[in-house]
Amino acid sequence: MKNSKMLTVLKDNLWTNNPIFIQILGICSTLAVTNNVRNTLIMSAGVTFATALSSMTLSAMKDLLPRKVRMIIQVVVMSFYVILLDILLRAYLPDVSKQLGPYVGLIITNCILMGRAEAYAAANKPLMSFWDGLTSGLGYMAVLVVISVIREILGFGTLLGFRVMPEGFVTWTIMIMAPSAFFFVAMVMWWAKTEQAKRETAKKEAKK
Amino acid sequence: MKKDSTLYVVLFTFIVCAIFVVVLAVANEGTKGLVAANKQFATQSAVLGAFGIPFADAADASAKYASEVTEEKSAGYRSWKATVAGTGYTAVEQSGAGLWGTITIILAATPDGQTVRGVRVLAQLETPGLGGRIEEPWFLGQYEGEKAPDGKVIMKAGAEASGKADADKANGRVEGISGATRTSQAFGSIIDAGLERIKAGGGK
Repeated sequence: MKNSKMLTVLKDNLWTNNPIFIQILGICSTLAVTNNVRNTLIMSAGVTFATALSSMTLSAMKDLLPRKVRMIIQVVVMSFYVILLDILLRAYLPDVSKQLGPYVGLIITNCILMGRAEAYAAANKPLMSFWDGLTSGLGYMAVLVVISVIREILGFGTLLGFRVMPEGFVTWTIMIMAPSAFFFVAMVMWWAKTEQAKRETAKKEAKK
Repeated sequence: MKKDSTLYVVLFTFIVCAIFVVVLAVANEGTKGLVAANKQFATQSAVLGAFGIPFADAADASAKYASEVTEEKSAGYRSWKATVAGTGYTAVEQSGAGLWGTITIILAATPDGQTVRGVRVLAQLETPGLGGRIEEPWFLGQYEGEKAPDGKVIMKAGAEASGKADADKANGRVEGISGATRTSQAFGSIIDAGLERIKAGGGK
């Protein structure tokens, strides 16, 4: 019973209700970090960490939480985890911290955190909320990694820093700039929505 | 106590904030030493890199920094002196406006400012992948051993730039980054300002 519920949440967050291509949340960071696979992985790991833990904490304290200050407390909890992450990165991974710079602080404003806290953690148990935050983060990560692989190959001719394109390859400057992510996010949305619509019709046909 | 009463709301908010702030303060205090050490290593490795002194790791860098480099401070600016392979060099920390934010570099050159020894970037906020490439070895490598007639290194930015490193060390020219004209120009003037300061004696 519990397992099937967890599977439903997993499938929801990765596919049917994916934060990027269905809920259209967290697009700002998608534009900013996806020109480089390494930064993308670190950024989405940070978002996953912050979403999972803040959802769990908020769910644990939901019965004590006065409705008047609900949003303020949500923001306090999220900023707590993000600042903690920033401190840890600065102490133990200084190179990564230098590369990400202002992006880490911007996790606080990532709409996925608030979205999950409001939509799921406010009405579910702490462990399930943790799982929901974790899978939401993974759904975000999956889409971002796909986009960043394409952008890094075309923009730099490399993948995770290793050269994959031939030496004479002319890199596409537009791929490095933020606007190119708009094209790819739109294409991913297009593909996902078409695919989902197709499956929907197939299901209906089968029922008849 | 009722959950919606003002007293409860105030108390609850206060207690929750206090707990989180205490935990953050402890984490910050606990990692202070490490953060300071990281920052120190970043500066030391940049200075050693600009002087062209090789080092293996953080401990080695710190030892070499202590034994081979002398740090000076005048008028709030840091400068360094070192002798590498029989030649004395001066290094200065130089900041200037980039395209998006301040670029801070460590520049080492002969005390007369006529030959550049090396350059390292300490901090920059340029466009990742375009202006951000000023940190890459192919770009900074152009400066190593470059002659600076009249105390200037000419930056070929914009339409003149070929986007490939300039291998001629005697012509006093370096190639800018294609697609990052403004950053290249800014970087060129920061280098020139740094050479000016080295010629004037490191301080000022």
